[in-house]
Amino acid sequence: MQALGLLGNAFVSVCQPASLLLMIAGVAVGIIFGSIPGLSASMAVALFLPLTFSMTPSMGMNTLVAVYIGGISGGLISAILLNMPGTASSIATTFDGHPMAKNGEAMKALGLGIVFSAMGSIFSFIILTFCAPSLADIALKFTPAENFGICFFALTMVAILASGNMVKGLLAGMLGLMFTQIGMAPIDGTPRFTFGASDLMAGFDTLPTLIGIFAISDILVTAESMGSGKLETIPIKKVKGFGFSMKEFVYHLPNFFRSALIGTGIGILPGIGGSTSGMLAYVTAKNMSKKSDEFGKGCPDGIVATESANNATIGGAMIPLLVLGIPGDGVTAMMLGGFLIHGLSAGPLLFVKNSDVVYGIFAACIICALIMLVVEWTCIKGFVQVLKVPKHILLPLILVLCCVGAFATNNRIFDVQSILLFGIVGYLYHKFSLPTTPFVLCFLIGGMLETYLRRGIMQYKSFGAFFARPIFDVFFFVAVAVLVWSVFKEYKAYLVKKKGA
Amino acid sequence: MFFKKYGDIVVGVFFMTLSAALMFMAQQLPKSKVMDIGPEFMPMVIGVITFALAALLTFLSVKNMKMRSKELAGAKPDDCDYKRVLLSAILVLIYVFILQPIGFIVTTLVYLPLQMLVLSPDDQRGKKQIIQLLIIDVIFTMVVFFLFRYGFKIVLPAGIFTINL
Repeated sequence: MQALGLLGNAFVSVCQPASLLLMIAGVAVGIIFGSIPGLSASMAVALFLPLTFSMTPSMGMNTLVAVYIGGISGGLISAILLNMPGTASSIATTFDGHPMAKNGEAMKALGLGIVFSAMGSIFSFIILTFCAPSLADIALKFTPAENFGICFFALTMVAILASGNMVKGLLAGMLGLMFTQIGMAPIDGTPRFTFGASDLMAGFDTLPTLIGIFAISDILVTAESMGSGKLETIPIKKVKGFGFSMKEFVYHLPNFFRSALIGTGIGILPGIGGSTSGMLAYVTAKNMSKKSDEFGKGCPDGIVATESANNATIGGAMIPLLVLGIPGDGVTAMMLGGFLIHGLSAGPLLFVKNSDVVYGIFAACIICALIMLVVEWTCIKGFVQVLKVPKHILLPLILVLCCVGAFATNNRIFDVQSILLFGIVGYLYHKFSLPTTPFVLCFLIGGMLETYLRRGIMQYKSFGAFFARPIFDVFFFVAVAVLVWSVFKEYKAYLVKKKGA
Repeated sequence: MFFKKYGDIVVGVFFMTLSAALMFMAQQLPKSKVMDIGPEFMPMVIGVITFALAALLTFLSVKNMKMRSKELAGAKPDDCDYKRVLLSAILVLIYVFILQPIGFIVTTLVYLPLQMLVLSPDDQRGKKQIIQLLIIDVIFTMVVFFLFRYGFKIVLPAGIFTINL
């Protein structure tokens, strides 16, 4: 109950006009950074960091939190409208978001995304406020072995994603794994498959790859049908409010809670991140849903799952940051820098010494989520105007933005060139009707999987020793069970199909 | 038609070749001296699994060829404008390779109208439309350049021509 009292005080101090204005500005800038691919939330936080020098510690931290939240959630806008994930966290939003936009339901997709982003954030912040210290203990139990277990588990999800045509789906994923092998090997840094090119040493970066496989291949696919002579624009259905009814809202709630829990859980573990949590939540939702065939063709459930999960990751990621002083990803590392600048040291003592700042951050998180909801919802009508631009004008503009974004990620022209490569991969996938989703999932996880496996073996000497760790066992055996079950289901479906023919 | 009928076999054979090459190259990698699995371990695992899957896919699609062609008998041939696809791909290829040496502003100013023309439907290629495209082109390029330069503090490739304010 002490937490509630402290939180109450914090709300009062956060809700001062100056601090509110700063937070609104922070969220708005975050959203812009989030929605442009290549400009990430961590970049936005880095740009804002110097601005907070002159503020009080708690005001400065609140502004940074605002930028972070805006940056993660802004990705959904470009993901839905332009089929290009603004941040790596919103990859899975494109799977159903863009098809919905194509069906004229852009407003509804955005409405759902925005509402469930905000709810996902708030859900994780509530957990953060009340359970942070005890959850941080769990995070400490995760060694490379457990992390390998999670990655392996996530990888077997490809089998579910690929159901219906499993062999092709798995192959589609294997190519993604192969691309992660290019570059320096983890641990020992042996160059692999670089063919002597120094640009390949660092491997392919996540964001350019995703931009290529979604946005660039989209341009090539559209080019196929442009000869038909029609001026094409995407229709937009007008909607009231957020575009969905109370009944639909209630229908999405179980999905929301499951996804938000996955998001928070993944967030707590340092190093795994929002993109994986979004994908995991998406696949879980697909697997649990009764209408799993509709996923990928514009099913609102997919958006709800990803957006709740990737925003819930924020709260999760703050737990090890605040309690243990361990940053889980680029953004939280920047935030840690923010703490240092203001003379605070994140870690167990922060709760004792500077509880006003800590609870100020909690309160700011919740308020920022609401601000994000309001800001995005006011601008939603402006965003969808993008769809009114004819495709032959819009797509080249997107391409230039993609190139600039890819360049901005690492200031490397090689990243810009790699988007073309992945664009062609995406186009060929489309031609040979291979699904791109497994490719993306494997590409995201492949590198981590190998790193954790090798780190784990270094720590425990052999793979067999992994099994002595109960958390690893759970993930590993559930993963194996999922795999066996999916293969069995697939085989049965194949037999039925063969009989019918 | 070709993609629907023989696509799976092409995919299968392609992946078999690719994974064979991967396994061969993984063998050349140095072994780790300190632990059981070295840098060659993952590529080998991926190679073996891929090869098995690709072989299965090829086998199944050859075996079910008859079933497949029966399914496709009534299907309409798809009409794809490969000229536009190829032209777009070539344009993008040139764009990404001259972006660094020539610079963002000039390259984009030239690339955008060409790409828009390639994509635009035949009846949208009049004089009026081209002028419209050029206006969009100039405004967009400048906005992006200045937004990144001064808003996000990211300097885009300067090349032979840039604007310093």
